[in-house]
Order: sequence, then structure tokens, then C-alpha cells
Amino acid sequence: MGPRRDPRGAAGGGVTESQPADRAADVKGSDGRTLEPWEVFRQEKDGDPMRHGGSVMAPDATLALHYAREMYSRRQESVHLWVVRRADIHDLADLDLLQPPLDRSFKKPGGYVMRDKLAAAREQSGQAKPKANAGER
Amino acid sequence: MTDGRARPDPPMAMDFEGAGDGRTNALALLLLSMADDEFVIGFSDSEWTGIGPILEEDVAISSIAQDELGHARALYTLLSELVADGRDADAIAYDRPPEGYLHARLLDHPRGDWAATIVRRYLYDTADAARLDALVDSSYRPLAELVAKIRREERYHLMHMETWLDRLATSPGEPRERLLAALADMAPDAGTVLAPLPGEQALVRHGIIGEPFEAIEARWRKGVGRTFQRLGLPDLAATRDPGRARADHGDAFRALHAEFTMVRRSEVGATW
Repeated sequence: MGPRRDPRGAAGGGVTESQPADRAADVKGSDGRTLEPWEVFRQEKDGDPMRHGGSVMAPDATLALHYAREMYSRRQESVHLWVVRRADIHDLADLDLLQPPLDRSFKKPGGYVMRDKLAAAREQSGQAKPKANAGER
Repeated sequence: MTDGRARPDPPMAMDFEGAGDGRTNALALLLLSMADDEFVIGFSDSEWTGIGPILEEDVAISSIAQDELGHARALYTLLSELVADGRDADAIAYDRPPEGYLHARLLDHPRGDWAATIVRRYLYDTADAARLDALVDSSYRPLAELVAKIRREERYHLMHMETWLDRLATSPGEPRERLLAALADMAPDAGTVLAPLPGEQALVRHGIIGEPFEAIEARWRKGVGRTFQRLGLPDLAATRDPGRARADHGDAFRALHAEFTMVRRSEVGATW
């Protein structure tokens, strides 16, 4: 176990750096003495993705890993753990940016949803719904 | 849990003499001393449950304490199978008077403050690790197999204690002062964990233990010495009165014993 730091903001973390209120401004940078939240990611078995498990409070990465082990793998629930200082996570939760109001479903590889149009066409022609592959799109 | 037959006159720890040949007696003493070490420190550290410095550490120290009780249980079970005198692991663990326990004097020091708990655990865990190292290839297979499992858990205990020792030693002011005070108090008893056992020549001769305790202790002192030097801590004192390393348990242990036998004594012979 040991610190394992990736370069900051490597993957487009720069959109907004605002922190929710509960991540109070007292996390200036780890001094190894102040308790702060660490997010824990765990892999359940080899080949699975790392999934967010929860968080622990700890003053540094070493104790964060120890506590993560106690909370998320003391009964062999994990084969791999990551801890990430919550303050090092760049956050984006702006619905205008993440959930644009206009319908852009044509951008999805499946195209427009066809189910309703197909159903109407079938009704018009008096055809029954095909058994297999019940026309979704 | 057990049929727990009433034993109005609990047998003493040392009564394994007569259980068999020299090898069996010495092995029984080794198992009992290791089991009592784990049992006493496990119970004592479990006193932090619910009052740990932070919730995460409360869970961590409690789980480490539980691990030790698990190790004690496994060792008492080995002992009960070896001696086969009708006592099970629970009877050996709980039905002895305080003077019948064979744990090292280091563990007679009470839990104390957080620094004292860390110092006691660090000294014990490092000494225990050195002892386990000498048992991995034991000719007594049930012990070698158990030690292999125990060592995997003790590795994390050691990492955790080293982390805390480091934190306290490198935090000037109160943390370091409390650490130094606890060390001054306990250092002369630290070596009691590895003090020679009666009959250990038989253990070495039969390949039950890889080397005599004197050699194990020397190896342990070297390792701890390196850590202490790095952290600027004073050298570990020589062992005080090594001949009585596992005897003369004082009032702190009597109080602890009264507590951990309380429920068992409340209904002698009950089936739990």
C-alpha cells in the first residue's frame, strides 16, 4: 500500500472546480495531520471495473488505505482498492451542461425511437405484432 | 458454545507437566504462552471499541483486537487437542485463576492512553512476528499451518502500528512526549515476549521452533533498533527480570481478568 498519484486534472477536469458546501474550504492540501474525506473505489473480482464504494475520513493516504481495507474488504469483499482525496476530484454537476433541454436523440447510434410509429403502421395494415424480435426501434 | 462442565477448582496453567513427554510439555507451554499473549492483548485492545479517537480507527483497532482473539482461539484449540485433558478452548481461555495465565509481562501494562496502546502493540506485534518467523517451518504441522494463516493477518497489524508509531514519533509536542513516556514505561518489559521458555531446548531439538528464543530476541532487537534509530527514539532497554517474564501478573491484570471472566463466572456450567 502506498500513495499513487495521477497527474491532476488529466482528463478534462477543468470545466468547473467548485466544491459542494460539505467539502468545506479547510482542505487546502494534505498536511498529513488534518482529517479529510477520501473516496474509496473497489474491485470485487479480477476483471471487474473499479467501482465507487464510499468514503473514509483519514489524515493521509496510508491511513486512508488502512481504513478502506477495514471498511470495504475486511471480509474479503475486494481484490483491489483505490483511495482518492475528495479534494482532488474535479466536479461537474451542472444540468445545463449535462442534460441539454432539446431532444438530440438523433445523435444516438440507435436513431429516433421507432416503437410508436411501428405500432401505428401495424395497426393501419391490420398486421399482428411479429413474435420474435418484437420491433423496438 | 460449550458444555462447560463446572470446575470448582480451576487447574493451573503449568499443570501440563505430566501430560506427556518433555516434547509435549514444552510444546504445550509454547502454545499456551502464545495463546495467552494474543488473548490478553486482544481483550485489552478491545476496550477501545466505541471510544476510539475517530470512528475509522475505532473500527480498525477493534478489528485488530478481534483478529487476536481469533488467533488465541485457534491456539487454545490446538492446545486442547494436544493435551486432550477434556478441556476445550473456552475452558482453557476462561477457567483459570489470574496467576495461571502465561502471557508476557509487557501485556500486564494496561491499555493506557492512545500512545500507550500503540507502543504496547508495536512492541508486541514486532516481537510476535519474530516468534512466528521461527515457527513457519515447525515440525509440529498443525502449528506451522496455523502460523502461516496468522502471519497473513499480522502483516497488516504491523503496517498499521508502524504507521501510528511513525505519526506519533514525528509529531512534535504532546504526541511525541506521550509516546516517549509510554516507551520509557514499557521498554524494560518489551523483551518478555521472547524470554526463554522452560523446556525450549526440547522444542529446538525436535524442530518445533527454528531457533532458541535468545536468537529470536536478538533478531527482533535489531529490527526495532533500526526503526527507533530512524525515528530518533531511545534504544530499547534490556529485559528486566527475564526469569519471571511470564509470572507475577499485577493488579491491572487481575482487574482485566475479573472483567473477561465475568460472564462465564456468572453461570458456571451454563451452555451458551
